Amino acid sequence: MSLDLNKIIGQIQSAVDTLSNNSTDQINKIQHAINIIKSANPTELESKRDLSDTAFLVPRIQDSLSSSHKALDIPSQYNVIAVDGSHIDVDRHLPLECYLINIGTVMISYGDEPSASLSNYPQLFTSQTGMVITDPDSSRHQNVEGPLLGILRTIEELRSLVDLVKSVKNSYPILALVDGSLILWGIIGQSYPEYIRKFLLEDGLIGVLDELKQLAISKSLVLAAYVSLPRSTEVTNLVRISPPNCPYPISNCDSNCGSISFGARPCDQSGDVLDRDIFSGILNEGERSDIFASTLPLVESYYGEHAVYFFYLNTGDEIARIEIPKWVAEQRELLELTHSLCLDQAKLGHGYPISIAEAHEQAVVTSSDREEFKILVENALGDKWLPVYTSLKNQSKKLKWL
Amino acid sequence: MVNENTRIGEVVEATTTSFVSQCYRLYDSPYLGSIVKTGGPYPAFGLVYNITTQGIDPSRKPVARGIDNLSEDDVYKMNPQLEKLLRTDFFSITIGYIDNSKITCKLPPKPPPIYSFVGPCDDSDLLTLATDLSFIKVIVNSGLPATDELVAIIINKLASYNDNREEFLITAGKVLINVFPGDFRKMEYILSKVQL
Repeated sequence: MSLDLNKIIGQIQSAVDTLSNNSTDQINKIQHAINIIKSANPTELESKRDLSDTAFLVPRIQDSLSSSHKALDIPSQYNVIAVDGSHIDVDRHLPLECYLINIGTVMISYGDEPSASLSNYPQLFTSQTGMVITDPDSSRHQNVEGPLLGILRTIEELRSLVDLVKSVKNSYPILALVDGSLILWGIIGQSYPEYIRKFLLEDGLIGVLDELKQLAISKSLVLAAYVSLPRSTEVTNLVRISPPNCPYPISNCDSNCGSISFGARPCDQSGDVLDRDIFSGILNEGERSDIFASTLPLVESYYGEHAVYFFYLNTGDEIARIEIPKWVAEQRELLELTHSLCLDQAKLGHGYPISIAEAHEQAVVTSSDREEFKILVENALGDKWLPVYTSLKNQSKKLKWL
Repeated sequence: MVNENTRIGEVVEATTTSFVSQCYRLYDSPYLGSIVKTGGPYPAFGLVYNITTQGIDPSRKPVARGIDNLSEDDVYKMNPQLEKLLRTDFFSITIGYIDNSKITCKLPPKPPPIYSFVGPCDDSDLLTLATDLSFIKVIVNSGLPATDELVAIIINKLASYNDNREEFLITAGKVLINVFPGDFRKMEYILSKVQL
């Protein structure tokens, strides 16, 4: 039995009706947030943020809050390198315990000698090659699957950027671009033991970022992560702690408003506003916002020189969020280069960076690919006269008997 | 054998009567009406009757790149990846083959294998093909669109390689009379496109 659409259509209609009824209220909320951010004193607000203890993530203000910056001219010659990945997770219904990571890579050179290279690198991991993360100081171990595999894939994507950057022979600027965030959000909320965190962060992500930073010494290299349709509310959280939203001199959420229910606190009047809503009222086409620094404890504890900064960019089609490491954010020239190159990539891609879009096309594993993969595994086992079996549950799904 | 230096693509589909070749470089196909030669145990001669350029991934349709580009070349200059995402194929009808170094204007015992190299014909091959025009009937009966145009192109091409042009054209005319008995309008149409 498939999903009974007749039963759901009324619920969808009702949800949409609620949205449209709230639209005027939402527009007013956004305008209110824009007014606050435009009138706030950045120095005073940063000082308040620094002293506050909030229940939500509030970014560090660097210079100003609501300035808009035009893009510099796009260099006539530049390279863009982009990666994206997909994976086939461990399937316990398969007789072979394995997972597959497919990294799609794109390298495009613009200028007098335009060229492009599109590739993908599927890699199979089995119990012999990386199915388990072990604690070097004990016998503890963790199987790689599910969310952990997703995090590892992100690190592998960044690792492949390093090889691509090394392969660039010309001396023109390089934009190394990844889809999504530089922050390993998958770790947050997971109770991974310390040896797993060390494996993923210190030995994994940070090691790769170190290599990229090292390469940036000899090459004009910028690293950026591109978030399309961002749902972040970090700048909104700056609005929350600004007066009159937060009337207290220091925003200590638990002690000031701990007894007030969610939704009724003074700052909740900006609660449904997204950062992109605010900047759609501030940025003209092609402009970027000021930069902000993430204060996520994970970033502050582990990222060091690669601490994540971000800005918003009006591409003309949407407000995108661009994340950059500290070593890019703190060099004006690299920051401006990131701005203009991300904008150019989005324009070439009809709103979304063309290089990431093509990297995605290289990386994508379709549902039919997944089925073919299973058949390949089963055939390979059959060729060696190894048992090919599956769970009764899986058999039951396939047979669909009456 | 196809010359290593002049090969332009590889066979990607093959049947007894025709084959499709993918070009190595975008748009670098032979001209319509060219005769190409494949590799393989029975190297086949094919007359190019159709050329296509489209996305490599059939699920991705090319879309207009916008009015901002200054010229058509700019589209490719600003989007170097297009060279890797588009492909040019050319379709050929088989008109003969080589067996034991001998050119025969018949269908080969086996079509060329997939990935056989494809390149242009040598002048000597064309001269040999010009001695037996029975393949014109194959083209006419193939059911392909624009066969009259193709016949005219191939007659012009072979005539240009023939030292005795006039004699070749008379022979070709006789073949056409046999292929289109009583159909003077068709004859007239083809001859109007042949440079006499």
